[in-house]
Amino acid sequence: MNDPGHQPSSSDPAAVTASNPAPTTSAPSKPKASVAGRDERITYRGPLRRWLISPEIGAFIGTVVVWAFLWGNGQTFGTSGTTLNWLDVAAPYGIMATAVALLMIGGEFDLSAGVMTGATAMIIGLVSRFFMGEGVHIAWAVLVAFAAAAAIGWFNGYLVIRTGLPSFIITLASFFVLRGLMLVLSKRLASKVYVDQITDQRGAKGFKNWIAHEWRLTDFGWRDPIFLTCVVIGVSLFIYGVLEQAFARRGSLSTTGLGVAALGSVGTLAGFAALHRTDGVSANVIVGGATALAVAVAVVGIGLSRWEHRAEDGRRAALPRDALLRVGLGIAGVALACLLPIPFDRNERRAVLTWTTSGLRPVLAIAAGLIGVILSARSVRRGLGERVRAAGMLKLVLFSLYAGLMVMGVALSLLQLTTVQAMRAIGMLLLGSAGVALILNARGIAGKADRRWHLVIGVLASAALVVIGLVSRADASATRFRVVLPTALVLGAALVLANSVLEYLLVKRTIAVPGPDRLSRRLQVAGVLLIVIGSAIRLLFTNFTPAQAAARRAADQPVPQNVLRETVLWWLLVAGIGAYVLAKTKWGNWVFAVGGNRDAARAVGVPADNVKIGLFVVVALCGALAGTLIALRYGTVQANQGIGLEFEFIIAAVVGGCLMTGGYGSVIGASLGAAILAMSTTGFQTVAGWNADGRFAFLGGVLLVAVLVNTYVRKKAAEAR
Amino acid sequence: MNTTQNSTHNSAENSDTPLLELRSISKHFGNVIALEDISTSVQASEVTCVLGDNGAGKSTFIKILSGLHRASSGEYLIDGAPVSFDSPRDARARGIATVYQDLAMAPLMSVWRNFFLGAEPMRNGVVMKSSEMRQTAKDEMAKMGIDVRDIDQPVGTLSGGERQSVAIARAVFYGARVLILDEPTSALGVRQSGVVLRYVRAAAERGLGVVFITHNPHHAYPVGDRFLLLNRGRSLGDFTKSEIGRDELTRLMAGGAELDALEHELATR
Repeated sequence: MNDPGHQPSSSDPAAVTASNPAPTTSAPSKPKASVAGRDERITYRGPLRRWLISPEIGAFIGTVVVWAFLWGNGQTFGTSGTTLNWLDVAAPYGIMATAVALLMIGGEFDLSAGVMTGATAMIIGLVSRFFMGEGVHIAWAVLVAFAAAAAIGWFNGYLVIRTGLPSFIITLASFFVLRGLMLVLSKRLASKVYVDQITDQRGAKGFKNWIAHEWRLTDFGWRDPIFLTCVVIGVSLFIYGVLEQAFARRGSLSTTGLGVAALGSVGTLAGFAALHRTDGVSANVIVGGATALAVAVAVVGIGLSRWEHRAEDGRRAALPRDALLRVGLGIAGVALACLLPIPFDRNERRAVLTWTTSGLRPVLAIAAGLIGVILSARSVRRGLGERVRAAGMLKLVLFSLYAGLMVMGVALSLLQLTTVQAMRAIGMLLLGSAGVALILNARGIAGKADRRWHLVIGVLASAALVVIGLVSRADASATRFRVVLPTALVLGAALVLANSVLEYLLVKRTIAVPGPDRLSRRLQVAGVLLIVIGSAIRLLFTNFTPAQAAARRAADQPVPQNVLRETVLWWLLVAGIGAYVLAKTKWGNWVFAVGGNRDAARAVGVPADNVKIGLFVVVALCGALAGTLIALRYGTVQANQGIGLEFEFIIAAVVGGCLMTGGYGSVIGASLGAAILAMSTTGFQTVAGWNADGRFAFLGGVLLVAVLVNTYVRKKAAEAR
Repeated sequence: MNTTQNSTHNSAENSDTPLLELRSISKHFGNVIALEDISTSVQASEVTCVLGDNGAGKSTFIKILSGLHRASSGEYLIDGAPVSFDSPRDARARGIATVYQDLAMAPLMSVWRNFFLGAEPMRNGVVMKSSEMRQTAKDEMAKMGIDVRDIDQPVGTLSGGERQSVAIARAVFYGARVLILDEPTSALGVRQSGVVLRYVRAAAERGLGVVFITHNPHHAYPVGDRFLLLNRGRSLGDFTKSEIGRDELTRLMAGGAELDALEHELATR
């Protein structure tokens, strides 16, 4: 594998270079460039900024949008029970998407990946029931399935390497062979097109308990306090990290700043205490607003205490036209979002639905399509850069039309069976967020000319968020729109306000400084981790206190239970290992290299063929894992199990940012892609009145948008450096 | 990292024995004579330029040097001792590194990942020492005078000259004593070529012997110490810099006697 002569020996390369004095250095070396990460030509990118140009960003945005969309529309989506449901659906997808993504990064495809999950499940069923007449212990069956999978994976890889044929063709052949064998064997041995009673076989119960355990999670009264604490601390750490990264530190702490921070913190605490006691709409709104203001004051105070204050620069300029235009459009968008509830009245569902049937529905769909066209044209043109040539224009037009059609298709499919609530939520979400985004965009443009405009427009953006929050609160009936969304929006407004004030008052840092940068990175990561842990607890448990649960049991009422299946943990484990191997080990390096430039990889001693064959085996083994979990979970395997799933795995990987031609991609992104697939499957079922088949139109749209975002990001990643 | 240390020692001590020497090398493929009676040498800290037009035998010459082919006759000496390579791996083990024209780089991978590709320093045999790798890659390239702004940037975003430079720096770091550069400037513009030529010189000044293959005498002359001219598999001569001027080199490359004959022919018409 490794060429010993080529390896630089196992000793530490840094020590080597130190002990290896360069004879002469007449080359024009610039001394300041010698320390990695301290180059004055590079502005520091925090984890947030760097992550914004990472391959998985499209999938992340997609996950958030889909989640928010379903959360806003589904009656039950977003509660702990449904979250565990879609995680359970996502897990086999996620396991396979991880492996398929690795293979795609390595430059190959495997069309037998889907049927592999079914075939291995079938092998387990058949061997455990019929081998040697009466079947064998299930552990042997699983072992046989894994061995068979490894052999098929190796054979796929070996053929691809030896013949040099496209992996599409080779694995398509395997796909058909497996598909045929599954049917033939199941009919021959089980006399049916399915094998059932797998979990009744010898050892199956114990094995299932071990491999595919199900935990019933109930009764955790502390759920919400823990969730809130984690989120509050996490967000605070994150904000502090962002401040540390954005601004230049001052020599000593500013007492004024500390005073302001103390004032803000006391105000925040008092506000929360008051909120807890107040009742009634106006009191809640007033106290909530005051609390948010206190939060902003606290953040500003902390900012002032530690970072360098800015001197007056005396630059004055009129508001640039660009910024003015954007502010105008942004305000219009927000205003429309706020006016939207008027025609779509929630109390008159039927009435509204009838007047949409009479010709308004196509009009609405076409309008949605046009918005899609305009938005995609804008983004594509920006992606193409300033010089839009004839060929570029054609591409632009085609892309826009396609995107428009997609959006229209989604709109139509939704309009057919949607509720008025859903329409309003979509409209408000789109218009409101577009409006605020435009205003924030204007803030950046105007701030370059005169920082006072930055402050003014920032205050405006924050006000817009508050207005949307108030409208949502006043209008909606569901708790999520009455409480959760307005609270989030108002807190967001507070942060935007604080950010605008701080950028006005403090000196921005443009160069990398190792100490604060390291601190910033750690704080941001710790903050995100806390938020994730808090959210996980929130989503895993029901919030019945033991007392409530006992009372329900005593009254013979069912106590809601959440089922966490081990499958989900297997997914996390596989994705975690995959991501780690890809980022941190030499095998990951080799996977990127064989996908990016196979000849180059081979020339420097990477065992390219073995890496590729290994990746095929990994895909097959992950298929066997997924197959085992499926067999144990349902106890029945259909002969067509898994057929067609290979494309969904590929979609998950592509949505996750993997380049179809290899050499670039992300395992985390693929897992997020799997989450999107699963959410749209289960989510559409939770929304009453929605046709579950609408998910295909929806998925098409998601795939297109994610790929567009990914392409754009990749371009940015390449030029931003 | 014994090879690196030895290489610098050796080159300092025995400066009169050439690092690499070829004596009357010939290569026949069946009845095709690819190379016939080629002799030259590569000294430490010197650049030996191999010049020749298309079909002159440059690629065969590289393949013999890098161990891909074995010479049909003649002697291949390293440090004065004859060697016989079975594979490029053997040649690499003896410190002969070849940087091919198409470069051994994956364009979407970062500079540091490319720099260590195939020889990643590992902790416990599993985890890459990524921060050290970043630092080392940056330092090594700085030593060569290559100033990479961001070691995390994908190699594909570097210019052609910078990419060549990364490949050269990598070969130097991995203990190369003799660096064989296959037409490193052929695909580059004027300025980019200048960048690469500077690194060729920098590599020589770090004590390496450099074999610089090119068809462009204007690129060869400023950096070269010794010039081997090939034409249709035969040597037109092996000159030191003091023996040949730029004009003569250009004339020989441009066809030399044949060109004279052509000129004569055109003049008499």
